Amino acid sequence: MSLFEDLKLNVEQGKKEAVLALVAQALDQGHSAQQILQQGLIAAMDIVGAKMEQEEMFIPEVLRAAKTMEAGLEILKPLLGVGDMQVSGKVVMGTVKGDLHDIGKNLVAMLLSSAGFEVIDLGINVAPAVFAQKAEETGADFLGMSALLTTTMPMMAATIEELEKAGLRGRVRVLIGGAPVTQAYADQIGADGYASDAGAAIKVAKELGALVA
Amino acid sequence: MSTTRHAIIEEIIEAVVEGEPEPVIAGVRRALEAGVDPETVLNDGLTAAMTSVGDMLDRGEVFIPDVLWSAEAMQEGLALLLPHLSEGASRSAGTVVLGTVQGDVHDIGKNFVGLMLSGAGFEVVDLGHDVTAEAFVEAVAEHGAGLLGMSAMLTTTMPVMSRTLQLLEARSLRSGVRVLVGGAPVTQSYADKIGADGWAIDATKAVAVAKELV
Amino acid sequence: MSDVAPFTPAVRLSHLGDDVKTRIFEAALRVLADVGASVQHDEAVRLLQKAGCSLDSDGLVRVPRPAVERALSSAPNAFTLYDRDGAAAMELGGHNVYFGTGSDLMWQYDPHTGEHRPSRLDDIARVARVCEALPNMDFVMSGAYPTELDPRGVYAVTFLTMMRNCTKPLVIVAESEIDLGVIIDVAADVRGGRDQLRERPYFLAYVEPVSPLSHPAESVAKLLLCADAGVPVAYVPAPLLGATSPVSSAGHVVQGMAECLLGLVLHQHRAPGAPFMFGVNQGTLDMVSGQPSYAAVEGFMNYLTVVEMAKWLGLPNWGISGCTDSQAIDAQLGLEVGELTLLSMLLGSNLNHDVGFMGFGLTGALEEIVITDEFVSMNKKLLSGIPVQDEDLAVNVIAEVGPKGHYLRHPHTRRYLRKGPGQWRPRLLNRDNRDRWVECGGLDLREKARRKVQAILESEGPPTLDPVLLALAEERVAALKASPKVGSPS
Ligand code: B12
Ligand code: B12
Repeated sequence: MSLFEDLKLNVEQGKKEAVLALVAQALDQGHSAQQILQQGLIAAMDIVGAKMEQEEMFIPEVLRAAKTMEAGLEILKPLLGVGDMQVSGKVVMGTVKGDLHDIGKNLVAMLLSSAGFEVIDLGINVAPAVFAQKAEETGADFLGMSALLTTTMPMMAATIEELEKAGLRGRVRVLIGGAPVTQAYADQIGADGYASDAGAAIKVAKELGALVA
Repeated sequence: MSTTRHAIIEEIIEAVVEGEPEPVIAGVRRALEAGVDPETVLNDGLTAAMTSVGDMLDRGEVFIPDVLWSAEAMQEGLALLLPHLSEGASRSAGTVVLGTVQGDVHDIGKNFVGLMLSGAGFEVVDLGHDVTAEAFVEAVAEHGAGLLGMSAMLTTTMPVMSRTLQLLEARSLRSGVRVLVGGAPVTQSYADKIGADGWAIDATKAVAVAKELV
Repeated sequence: MSDVAPFTPAVRLSHLGDDVKTRIFEAALRVLADVGASVQHDEAVRLLQKAGCSLDSDGLVRVPRPAVERALSSAPNAFTLYDRDGAAAMELGGHNVYFGTGSDLMWQYDPHTGEHRPSRLDDIARVARVCEALPNMDFVMSGAYPTELDPRGVYAVTFLTMMRNCTKPLVIVAESEIDLGVIIDVAADVRGGRDQLRERPYFLAYVEPVSPLSHPAESVAKLLLCADAGVPVAYVPAPLLGATSPVSSAGHVVQGMAECLLGLVLHQHRAPGAPFMFGVNQGTLDMVSGQPSYAAVEGFMNYLTVVEMAKWLGLPNWGISGCTDSQAIDAQLGLEVGELTLLSMLLGSNLNHDVGFMGFGLTGALEEIVITDEFVSMNKKLLSGIPVQDEDLAVNVIAEVGPKGHYLRHPHTRRYLRKGPGQWRPRLLNRDNRDRWVECGGLDLREKARRKVQAILESEGPPTLDPVLLALAEERVAALKASPKVGSPS
């Protein structure tokens, strides 16, 4: 098996020690950090993502693979140039005001960060003004909102208004989700993207990212 | 009809539906004493009651044994009524020779059909189960039966029905008897194929078909 | 009018020994005393401190054994819910088993068109109407969330709609203590006063802490309000196996019990003897699809354990029945509904909600309620036990019939059917031979259930509410909607 095949397999299986060793070995052999990131770590997570969609992996295994990938990335970070770093984007994420459901939001946040996004998780019960303020402070590219209650969905619209007021709407792509949320609702309130599960959330975020870039 | 007469008929109906022989007998007696036309007692009382019990079974409001008891009670009332009925009406509905065919022990359905037929006024000669073609034919001849009912519950035993029909032909008895067949594997098309006169899917239908045939 | 005779199964399921139950309970006590919990309500923290708990430097409340034991000894082991007219309807406790719908479904299979569409207020009315007509549905939860309405005061509107469309006791959800307060006011009007409501509670409030080990201000405030008003309350967490609780069944139950029992300590300290319902919802996160399963077998395993623990603690329990993960009214629905319903009954689980839930608590179908009703009816017969008096052993009857005879016409058969235990009659399940079935349209269970729903909806509804009461209730709800205290912009 080639070095990169080995690396991908170990990321997929969540073997952190092996991944750290293989990343070091790849660097020793003269591969660039950029190449290891793209052909090793990110390629591995693409496989994981596909397997998740095919329902071939348990969610905790996916999360472990993601953690392992991040550990490998830590070694590479100092070696990556600003351009190479290629973080997919900065996401401010949270469950809307009045809503305490966070399992789905946490899942999406974890997978986004494994897909190379930098995630700032504001937790639950997040007011529109707080979303806007944090998006401003952090210079976020994305705002991800989760709502699990029909009663709290209007908070999403309120938050978008808040972004507009703060003059951030042009810069921040808004992504929404949660059981009662639909594409139609996203269109209605003028959100940029909607996804029905974590796998789809990453795809949508990447697509929107590509549009921005 | 006066209200008292009307009330007596209602009582008879209720007693039949309840399957209580004593009140049926008492009701018929009172009706006759009150001068109600025996035909009316039969048609508006006893027979109407059985029709309504049948409907109730259809709707799942009574159980099969309830129907059997009603039929029995009705018969008791009819026995009392018979001598008062005109010649035409008083005849028994006819004699039926009934049995489950050779090689077959299933007799629940056959028993049920037998009970319903006798409830409907037929004279039932029940040969039991595991009945050979010869035994059927002999019984038909012996009792001068107008009807022969055969039950088969196994695909393997159905051919006994056909053999019995052939034997009836051979003994030149076929024209004097209507043949009725039934049982889970038996169908109308099978009945047609073997040249039987009637088929019924269940006991209620069996009574209707039997009445049509005689 | 409600059926007062409670159903108690004679055939029962219990699989845990005393030693196991002791270990589970002791483990829950350790979580309460050593791990602690986050209680986000100052007054509640003070009350808990008075009850002997500590607020530690890490901000967590820890609950010692004696506080739990005191709460367990003051909590009633049974309480009664009364119907709209004030008649006793559900005696919750022991092994009495009751069924009803769940709340808040955001999608419905339209009973007329079969279309999958967002839920509306008229769905709630229909759920209530259907439950009212079904003999084996004992209480009503909304079954739907009115997505067309402004969210403000929506749970009070929901309550009113249920109250108008059925007389059976209600189980309610509220957003906060504010709308709960209005719901209590309306119920008190129906009863003729607060004390009368306390004496004859018309509804039970369903309140949830957030697993793991978090007790948000709104949940705690609702719990305390129920304690004060004497309104029965179920304080029931919904840990999802492997996501918000340990993935192990025992661990799930231990954590869930610790969450529920903290509520009990608080509730009983505030109002000793007030009616409290114990429970842990049996959710399981499907670790591949990410869906919160309502019918995973692992969840059923947790359920078995939780109900047994409730009996062991001597507390009335909150249970679940009549729900499925299926997205269609199909055989999977029948299978899951049947199994869960039978389990609830075998366990003697007291108040079983979520009848009519499909697709992970998001979709509702009235057909499912009707089908569950049939299952409950059937299993009431199944679990009634086998009488074994001489009449039942029937030796003399056997002698009378003898070999080769039959029992069709024996008086014993008839007596048994008419005056004795009889024979259970299906209302939906097929018992027709093929010809007759074909003649009657060749209908499957789904279609028969649909037709039964139609028949119920076309029939006359329950007696209407006194117009004066109704006007008063509508006024209260209107005031709530207008109140600046109720949140969310529209
Ligand atoms: C677990 C749960 C709870 C837990 C929450 C615990 C926690 N830490 O999150 C507890 C018990 C606390 C709870 C409380 C309540 N709940 Co609740 N709950 C659920 C339940 C069963 C599962 C939710 C879940 O975790 N799903 C699993 C995760 C993995 O999936 P997910 O959240 O849908 O997320 C996925 C996608 O939606 C998407 N996604 C999610 N967020 C985002 C964000 C972005 C940006 C993107 C792109 C994608 C995305 O990706 C995720 C991963 O695949 C749902 C039923 C359901 N099917 O949703 C009810 C449900 C949401 N709850 C409901 C209700 C009514 C309540 C209560 C009001 C009940 C009460 N008695 O008080 C309270 C409200 C509390 C509050 N103020 O928030 C209703 C809502 C109905 C409605 N029409 O609004 C539901 C639908 C159940 C029901 N029918 O009753 N609940
Ligand atoms: C009970 C039963 C038995 C009992 C019978 C007891 C008894 N005293 O009758 C026992 C256990 C002994 C038995 C044995 C066997 N059985 Co068995 N049995 C049945 C069963 C489950 C019910 C029959 C019954 O009583 N139905 C209730 C009555 C009220 O209905 P019915 O008989 O259909 O009668 C109604 C109508 O058909 C009609 N009708 C009936 N007769 C007549 C006659 C006339 C003239 C008319 C007009 C109408 C009519 O009206 C009746 C009332 O509504 C059937 C399944 C079935 N669905 O039929 C299998 C069945 C008939 N048996 C079957 C078999 C295979 C056997 C055995 C070979 C099994 C074995 N391992 O050995 C043996 C055969 C024994 C033998 N040689 O006969 C098969 C037959 C398959 C086939 N293709 O032939 C069946 C269909 C079950 C199956 N799928 O396996 N059986």
